[in-house]
Amino acid sequence: MAYSDKVLDHYNSPRNVGSLDKKDPHVGTGLVGAPECGDVMKLQIRVNPDTGVIEDAKFKTFGCGSAIASSSLATEMLKGRTVDEAGQIKNTQIVNELSLPPVKIHCSVLAEDAIKAAIEDYRAKQGAPAGGALQQSV
Amino acid sequence: MSFPLIEHTCWRCGQSSEQESEAASLFCKFCNSLQRPVVDYFEFFGFDKSLTIDSAELQRRYYLLSRQLHPDRYTRATETERNFSLEATSILNDGYRVLRDPVQRAEYILKESGFDIGEQRSKDVPPELLEEVFDLNVALDVLRSGDAGALTELEASRERFVEMQNEIDADLELKFRQYDAAPEPERHELLTSIRSVLNRRRYIRNLLQEVNKEFATREA
Repeated sequence: MAYSDKVLDHYNSPRNVGSLDKKDPHVGTGLVGAPECGDVMKLQIRVNPDTGVIEDAKFKTFGCGSAIASSSLATEMLKGRTVDEAGQIKNTQIVNELSLPPVKIHCSVLAEDAIKAAIEDYRAKQGAPAGGALQQSV
Repeated sequence: MSFPLIEHTCWRCGQSSEQESEAASLFCKFCNSLQRPVVDYFEFFGFDKSLTIDSAELQRRYYLLSRQLHPDRYTRATETERNFSLEATSILNDGYRVLRDPVQRAEYILKESGFDIGEQRSKDVPPELLEEVFDLNVALDVLRSGDAGALTELEASRERFVEMQNEIDADLELKFRQYDAAPEPERHELLTSIRSVLNRRRYIRNLLQEVNKEFATREA
């Protein structure tokens, strides 16, 4: 089956490949996988603590071309959005943008899962110190 | 495990009989005509739904049924029987392929029990497994971009993956026997654990394929 030009573009020159410091309190990491095809996808965001805007996003995906393209596109979509806005990103946007065929839709689902997991991780990191501070003030 | 008695009425002679399983109904007891085949592979072959199967017995039944159901035997039969024979032969072949392979057999039972392998979301995959697979992939990536010196390490990881796969298969065999021996209420939990072992197996198999591909490229 032929890949769309956009998939090929992201596959051949993936954007934002790499990693951010996992221990940084402003970095959220999402690691997800699709066992049926053996894909693993790691997606990270770094959030500006003052504005709540995602300043940087990185990914590393081991999987098929569509999975790589989906996560590459996801990092592009994330940059410049607030965390709340990022949480609204739907896999269908990725499907449309990359013209993914039905058999590759699960790749976009995986990318959406990775975004959600990264946000969740970031929020968990933010929540922990805040809760601690509350307890101290009591 | 025994099936509840099923009343079966022959499409041709109209006589009814009660039988233990649908499998027994491939042929009518009274007029011996071919009946609509059941789609469940275990019932079709007359096995209990178990993860361990006597492969010699499976093969024996496969050959026997192949002879009995072969479309060539029904060229002069009614259209209904001709169609049933085609349907049955296709179930026979698909079923044999699935049942004789332990992994496919387990995946079939998982699917029949409501675990859809193809529709798993990442939340079903334990994070430790993802970490492990991710790290193994990173290591493999480093070796791949390395020079000839990386070959020894590559060979070492190939051996490691083969070993992991063997361990997984041994673990699966044990879990299959546990499942077959377990009472119904405990089976769901066992299937959940079998599924996660199968997931890990798939990841390791992929890694092994990647390593082998790398060797093939280097040798070419």
